[in-house]
This record gives sequence, structure tokens and C-alpha cells, in this order.
Amino acid sequence: MTYFVIFLGICFMLGVLAVASNPSPYYGVVGLVVASVMGCGWLVSLGVSFVSLALFLVYLGGMLVVFVYSVSLAADPYPEAWGDWRVVGYGLGFVLVVWMGVVLGGLVDFWKVGVVTVDGGGVSFVRLDFSGVAVFYSCGVGLFLVAGWGLLLALFVVLELVRGLSRGAIRAV
Amino acid sequence: MNPHAKLICTVSLIMGTSITISSNHWILAWTGLEINTLAIIPLISKSHHPRAIEATIKYFLTQSTASALILFSSMTNAWSTGQWDITQLNHPTSCLMLTMAIAIKLGLVPFHFWFPEVLQGSSLITALLLSTLMKLPPITLLLLTSQSLNTTLLTLLAISSTLIGGWMGLNQTQTRKILAFSSISHLGWMIMIISYNPQLTILTFILYTIMTSTVFLSLAQIKVLKLSTLLISWTKTPMLNATVMLTLLSLAGLPPLTGFMPKWLIIQELTKQEMTPMATIITMLSLLSLFFYLRLAYHSTITLPPNSSNHMKLWRTNKTLNTPTAILTALSTTLLPLSPLIITML
Repeated sequence: MTYFVIFLGICFMLGVLAVASNPSPYYGVVGLVVASVMGCGWLVSLGVSFVSLALFLVYLGGMLVVFVYSVSLAADPYPEAWGDWRVVGYGLGFVLVVWMGVVLGGLVDFWKVGVVTVDGGGVSFVRLDFSGVAVFYSCGVGLFLVAGWGLLLALFVVLELVRGLSRGAIRAV
Repeated sequence: MNPHAKLICTVSLIMGTSITISSNHWILAWTGLEINTLAIIPLISKSHHPRAIEATIKYFLTQSTASALILFSSMTNAWSTGQWDITQLNHPTSCLMLTMAIAIKLGLVPFHFWFPEVLQGSSLITALLLSTLMKLPPITLLLLTSQSLNTTLLTLLAISSTLIGGWMGLNQTQTRKILAFSSISHLGWMIMIISYNPQLTILTFILYTIMTSTVFLSLAQIKVLKLSTLLISWTKTPMLNATVMLTLLSLAGLPPLTGFMPKWLIIQELTKQEMTPMATIITMLSLLSLFFYLRLAYHSTITLPPNSSNHMKLWRTNKTLNTPTAILTALSTTLLPLSPLIITML
């Protein structure tokens, strides 16, 4: 089990490497898919299965799909692929940064990745993330409204930024 | 700007600030900070000028990085201590990361590079919001955790902020950039005293907000964006230029005016804490910013070129009544005699 979690971690890092060293977004998205799948697997290994499924659904099924559709509308016919020397440079730079982080992080406690499963306390054996989501909708409804407003605000801000076609914010640059 | 979008942004700014300053849990504090960042983005990019868009991008990137660091620091603390209380930040890595994150959010040296450029890219009123309202949540977080943070690091940030704020403001001719460096310098004073007497930080912040709001609102009324415009603006509203001079000298910290109060009390507290060399250094560094305040005050009240002093006041059809500016001017010049009362309320 431990080796599986470590394998998930390594594949996560490789996926992030693919995103960081992407020659064009169409190839970077592949790395993003791999990284998010490994991240969801890691969440399951920590015991929070509901949050992992929610992340899978929303991230891969929602955001990545929208990204792929919108990018495919503006695709260039001959995108640059992996195999260019510049791309290898990006990859090496990223490996260096991660290596430094691991070396420096080994000096601090919290880098020890333990496989800890959290179950509910007392007589209740419900998984913490299920009961957490239930609280989010009942007692913690204030935070639910705030989080919902934050997401709506992100939508309104993006719409306001790109409003105006040629007079809008994006075209001015 | 579209009135509905403006309403949503304004309401979200108030909501985000209120959420962060009234929160006990780190996630809620972070949510408020993110709502603030999102809401002010359209306000900075309102004019759609390339400089404004660049300012928006710089603001967004720096604030997002800082918010991510705040999230990392709170999660590290939660992983090791099991609780998310803002006042109970005990893990040393979390304290270090939080100090750096708040330094990025506020624009303290060495993370100050974005602040003058963002202020220069936005309108005067948006610059006012960025200097006053957007500083309130990070300072609140710093106040709540001030007992756990490293004093040496905070002192270092404070001294370097006062130094760079004063030194870099000397060569500026654009009023928004001058006020940006003045903000960095004042933040240095606030951070200096936060480990010893956080009440003085609150006092300095409130008085700084009053004084800088006065300057921004006055400059917005006469639409002055650079020193050369300030030079010839006395013909529009002579009284406003006289009060701008007094407010600028108050920001500089000169005695009979309000701005002297926070500096005086901070020096007193530092001396009580056996930090007299630090008090001397930070006072001497404020002399640098005094120079550009004096230059602004001189430009504001000069009457010689290009018109002579017996030149008639410029003919204006709409005389706008600006009550908030008047009230804030009165507060920012005459509050010093009330210091005994204010000290008892600290």
C-alpha cells in the first residue's frame, strides 16, 4: 500500500513536470489529467473518498472539458511538440527545483508522508469528509453562502474583464 | 464602468474585508482575502489602458501567491497542531511563511516592487482603495498572530521598508507613485511596533488611513496626477491646495499635526523596550520621506510660476461640495491635542 502511494506521488510529480515543460497547451493538458488523477488517488489513500470523487468530477469532467473545447476553437495547425531542446531545458529546471525542495524539506518534520486514515469519532463510524459535507449544508451554511458568492464573483469578474470585444481588457494589450 | 458590475465589486470588497477581519478560522480568513483580490481586479482594469491591464495582472499574481502561502502556512500548522485557530499559530515554519505572505500582501520590502506600479496603473480612487481598504485584512491577520512571529524578522522588514520607501520616493514625479512609497514607509513604522504594542499598530494604521484618504481625495478633486499639474492647480481651488500642504506635512510626521502622534508614541514604546538604536534609525530614515513630502507641499502652495499671485481664480461653473474631504482634512491636521484621550483608549 505504501509503495502504491509513493508510486502515485511520483506519477503526480511527473504529471506536473509535463505541465511545467509543456511546449503548447494541448500537450500540457495531458500532464494536468495525469496529475489530477494521481492527486485524487492520493486523497483516497488518505481516507477522504468523497472529496476525491468531487475533485475528479468537477476538475476533469468540468473544467478540463471546458478548457479543451475552448482551446480547440483557437488551435493552431502545427503546435510545437515535446522533443525541442527548449522543452528539455524547462524539464531540467523543474526537476532541479523539486530536488532542492525535497533536500531542504527533509530537514523539517512535516514531509514524512504517513498513511493516516481518519474515521469519525466516538460511536459514529462515518467518514469525516461525508459528515463534513453534511455540516457544510446544515450548520455551516454561512460558509456555504460565502463560498458560493466567491465562485459567482469569479464568474462576474471574468465576464467584466472580457466584456467589450475590441474595447475590452484582453484586446487592449 | 457598468453600474451592476461596480455594485457587485463594491459589495464584495466590503464583504471580503468583513469576513477576514471577523474570522477565527484560517480557511475563512483566506476566503475573505481571495474575495477581496477578485473583487478589485475589474476596478483596477477599469480604464482598459495597457498600463492598467499590466497593473491588474501584477496585482493578481502577487496577491494570489501570497494567499497560497497563507494557505500553506495554515495547513502546516493544522497538520502539526491539529487546530485552525488564527491566534494559535505555533509551528515555526508556519510563522515564517505567514510573515513572508503578509509582507507580500502589504507590499513590505523586499516584496514591494509591485506596489508603485499597480498604484500608477489605477485611477486615484482605486489607488486609495488599494492603499487603505486592501491593507486592513492582512494587518488584521498580522495583529492576531503578532505574539508568535519572529521579532528580528519584523524589525528587519520594518527598517528596510522605511529605508526603501523614503529613498525610492525621492526621484518620483508622479503623485500616485509618491503616495505608494509613502505607504511603504508608513507600513514600515506599523510593522516596527507590532511585537511590542499591537495597539500602536492599530492607531498608526487608522491615522495613516485618515491622512492618506485626505490626500487621495483632495488630489482626485483637482485631478492632479503629477508634480507639474500640482504646480498650476492652485488657481482652481486655492483653499484645497493649502489644506493639501497641511495634510502632507501631517503625513510626514511634523509636530503640531496629527501625523506626529503615531511616530511619537512608537518612539516612546521602542525606547521603553530598550530598542533606542532602532528608534533612532527609523526616525532618521523618515527624514528621506520628509523631503518628498516637503517637495509636494511646496509644489502645492507655490504661487509664482506661471501665474502671478494677483491672477484671478479660474472660473468654474460647477463648484462641487466635498464633505468627506473636509471632514478627513480636519481630522488629519487637528487630532494631536487629543492624544491623551486616544492613549487611554488603546
